[in-house]
Amino acid sequence: MMLRRPRQLWPYLFILPALIALAGTFAYPLAAVIRFSFYAGSVGDLTYVGTMNYQGLFQDPDFLQSILNNLKLLLTVPVMTVLALLIALVLNSQVKGWRHYRAIVFLPYILPATAIGLSFSYLLSGNGVLNTLLRNHGIGFLARDWLGSAANVVPTIGSVIIWQQLGFGIVVFVAALLAVPTELVEAARIDGATGWQIQWSILVPNIRRTIEFFVIVEAITVLSSIFTYVYVLTKGGPANTSSVMEFYIFQNGFENGAIGAASAAVVVLLVLASIFIGIYLRLQARAVRVAR
Amino acid sequence: MDNLSIGPTGQRRRGWRQRLKTTVTAIAALAAIATAGLSTRPAQAADATKITYWFWGESDIPGIDTWMKGMVSKYQAVHADTQINVVPQSSDTLIGGFRLASQSHSGPDIDTQWATLPTLTPYWNKAAVAISDYVPATEIAQWVNASENEAGGKIVAMPIYLIGVPLVWNKDLFKKAGLDPDKAPVTWSDFLADCAALKAHGITPIGMGNSDGSFGAWMFAIYLKQELNSLDELKSAIGNTGGFSLDQFDGLLTKMYAMMADLVAKGYINSDVSSLSLTQGWQLFPQQKAAMAFTTDGNVLSWGKTLGEDKIGVAAPPIWGGGKLADTYDVTQSSDEFITSWAKNKQAAADFLVWLHQPDNMAALYTQTGAFPADKRFPTSSITDGLAKQLFALDTAKQSIWLENYIPPEVDSDADTPAGQLILSKSGTPEQAVAIWNRVIKKWRMQQIPEFIQFKKWAGGNS
Repeated sequence: MMLRRPRQLWPYLFILPALIALAGTFAYPLAAVIRFSFYAGSVGDLTYVGTMNYQGLFQDPDFLQSILNNLKLLLTVPVMTVLALLIALVLNSQVKGWRHYRAIVFLPYILPATAIGLSFSYLLSGNGVLNTLLRNHGIGFLARDWLGSAANVVPTIGSVIIWQQLGFGIVVFVAALLAVPTELVEAARIDGATGWQIQWSILVPNIRRTIEFFVIVEAITVLSSIFTYVYVLTKGGPANTSSVMEFYIFQNGFENGAIGAASAAVVVLLVLASIFIGIYLRLQARAVRVAR
Repeated sequence: MDNLSIGPTGQRRRGWRQRLKTTVTAIAALAAIATAGLSTRPAQAADATKITYWFWGESDIPGIDTWMKGMVSKYQAVHADTQINVVPQSSDTLIGGFRLASQSHSGPDIDTQWATLPTLTPYWNKAAVAISDYVPATEIAQWVNASENEAGGKIVAMPIYLIGVPLVWNKDLFKKAGLDPDKAPVTWSDFLADCAALKAHGITPIGMGNSDGSFGAWMFAIYLKQELNSLDELKSAIGNTGGFSLDQFDGLLTKMYAMMADLVAKGYINSDVSSLSLTQGWQLFPQQKAAMAFTTDGNVLSWGKTLGEDKIGVAAPPIWGGGKLADTYDVTQSSDEFITSWAKNKQAAADFLVWLHQPDNMAALYTQTGAFPADKRFPTSSITDGLAKQLFALDTAKQSIWLENYIPPEVDSDADTPAGQLILSKSGTPEQAVAIWNRVIKKWRMQQIPEFIQFKKWAGGNS
């Protein structure tokens, strides 16, 4: 018969500081946000309203529009992934000056979003640089009010996001492609594989994990980190047609002091972001299992 | 042991130690000097009355930040025991920034907000105190438009300047369109006829910007007011206090947005109105790319210098509405200054604000910025410029109301602004614009319960 050893408590003492830090920085704010989502009024003068904030949220066309815009903008992820992959494959074929090209395409990624927003707001205004160029080259019919029209504003913001985030994808993919063993490529070449076959049947499958990582990271970014673009380019306008969830939270929580509505929106955003994080963790776990 | 090390390594180690010792000594000496320097300063600062002032005004009155800086230096020169730290604020964060500060009861001792509800709301939320508790009534009697910030028989904030919003037109472009350059459009049909003539001659009639929603909000302030018989109608519709219903208010709004949609449909407003901010849109006038604009006194004076005063005509905006308020003008103190409830030296803050109203300081405001001081002691004889005289006459001729001041800030930002954007960007109908108002007013009533209760009291005259 084996005697069970009494459970040691002292190892937990070692992780206690980290637990306290985590509780202070993550758990407490999270609990506070969830609590506030059941109240109306401003901090210091809160009234319990039950689930009314959540009901109000899903009856508020501005919030629904914001979620819809986030979902529309998620379409930028496959576009930027395919583009980044194509450019990375071209750069990986060691075209002359590829290192310089890599640096150039990475440049937008390190530019502050505010600077990008300001530049693009001048480029894309009704009589801005882009429309002037289009008109001067006889293709004025293509000119649009890119940021001032409800129909064009979300695709325009999406294009700016793709332009900026593309560099990150290219750099990540090029790094992954460079890590693919050259023996694989050489073996394929000896077996008579064409350049196209090498790209799509050898290189791309070998960087699948990196592609998955990029897609998930970008999906989370588009869902929860595009406030700056919207704020600088359109401030959610015209008529809230370009609002996203973050902007909705900012407007309600900071501008209007409607802490309850803002907190309820944060909880919804958190749930949506958690779904993507869950997918990512599942993919990672699968990758570990496969590796074993 | 190390000290016993012999040979080049030992020498290097001693040398390294020596350098380290020297560096540490030098840093310690510098730190000691710095600490000594600091310790002498607080000896003066500890006794000083410190006032943090979150100030805004540059967007309204270019040059006012410099004036304020000069005033602070002047005040501190004669009040050595007072330190005033002016922190300029931006328009974008003016309301939100103070709202955050008031939640933690920290930040400014004096704050600037836009007049009426943006000022009364923090007062109701106990983030501000009534300035009339600290300033004698005889002084307040000298302030112009002080009643814009009146609640419960108290004056909450102090005005500094006045801003009128006239219609301005370019006389050369009027002539080019075959119009009488000296004749202002007084009625709406005059205005539409002028617009049609200008448009027919390839001239953009009205040059404005609305990417920030400001032009739409200005149209509400100028033209919805013209449909009202009294401010109580607006208050009663928003506050649901009976009398004038939200449905009646909706009817007036629908009519006003239909008028705006008509101006857009006829091409009387610049085509890029939705992608330019108000300030950017205004530039079309001095660039002679638009013949008319609704603008501020300050801009008119500045454009007068650019284009020549004789090239510019100014008048009250043409009358469109049929309410009793249609005959009022559009002057407001725009922004005002109040003392926060957590300010440690409220009386000192009030003393400084009152001092700003001294006649020579107000005269300096006019001289340096061209803004009309909100003070009855300001001698009108100081205004010698022809265009300024016309503007001052407009500003003081009749009763004035800036309607935007009388709607809750949340309704202004979430209904007034997007509804105007919807119409001016041709993205929706007047009915859809009105639906935004309805939804936001109802949400505000539900979300801001204490604020709504205070608003109702104020609307009923019991705040």
